[in-house]
Amino acid sequence: MTEIRIIAPPPLESTRHAFLLAEDRLGHYPEFRDFFRRAFELERVGLATPGYISAPSNGVYALVFIGRSGEPFPSGLEIYAVVQALEPLDDTTVDRDLWAFLRWMMDGVGGAWSADKLDATGRLYKLMVAGT
Amino acid sequence: MMHAPIVGPYLLGRHNALAGRGVSLSVVDRVKFRAEAQIAYEAVLPDPATRLLTWTWPRWIPLDGTARALARFEWLERELARCRLPTLLVWGRQDEVFDAATFAPRFKTLLPHAEGPILVTGRHFLQEDSGPEIAASIVDFLARIDASPSAEVAS
Repeated sequence: MTEIRIIAPPPLESTRHAFLLAEDRLGHYPEFRDFFRRAFELERVGLATPGYISAPSNGVYALVFIGRSGEPFPSGLEIYAVVQALEPLDDTTVDRDLWAFLRWMMDGVGGAWSADKLDATGRLYKLMVAGT
Repeated sequence: MMHAPIVGPYLLGRHNALAGRGVSLSVVDRVKFRAEAQIAYEAVLPDPATRLLTWTWPRWIPLDGTARALARFEWLERELARCRLPTLLVWGRQDEVFDAATFAPRFKTLLPHAEGPILVTGRHFLQEDSGPEIAASIVDFLARIDASPSAEVAS
């Protein structure tokens, strides 16, 4: 369930980027920004290309990092599903993949943050993806 | 956890965690809330765009001296302390977000002329558990203001 892999930019012919989530303040807790900088080598890559990940469903997702003048990079993040251009999104699958992504992120950030704590929050809010 | 980057947009934006579960966790009588009031919260937060403040606003609350909104909240406290408007403090006895023992005296310090705090049955969304009682207190409070000599002079 938690299998998230960073992958090389995939072929994008006949695909579309379906918007899923936007985070305006990735540095609200700076350790999250630091995690993405490390994981996607953003010091080197910068804005040249999105970060791509493969999720448990084998779906591919694009992480578009946002730069904002006067703020450390990246200041924000948008998440898109990379899907066949004429195909609808499977919302249930996307939701499971996003949860796996959040768990992966939490364990990557580390410290006071963990996938277990995220799961506990998910159960408190009765999310199906958290095993409730 | 709810304020963590991306978690907020996912839980509160995509899943409407405030109206769907959060308010329910912050009332005393959850059965009554779900039966009578939850639908109203969900109706005004129908999509992620309408839910934006449910995850962006809490992040503005200063938790330490480096918080970006610290100056704004310090200004608010200074201005509040200068306020002389008639004030009634009503607090949820079971509020675990801003507990009465800690935060009600803080408001009383800033507004020493305020009446109260009146403690009512309620957690953070105290109006859901004690709506009629709170309303009666407000009506009584306003009536006494209207009957006061200063109100007659003002009118």
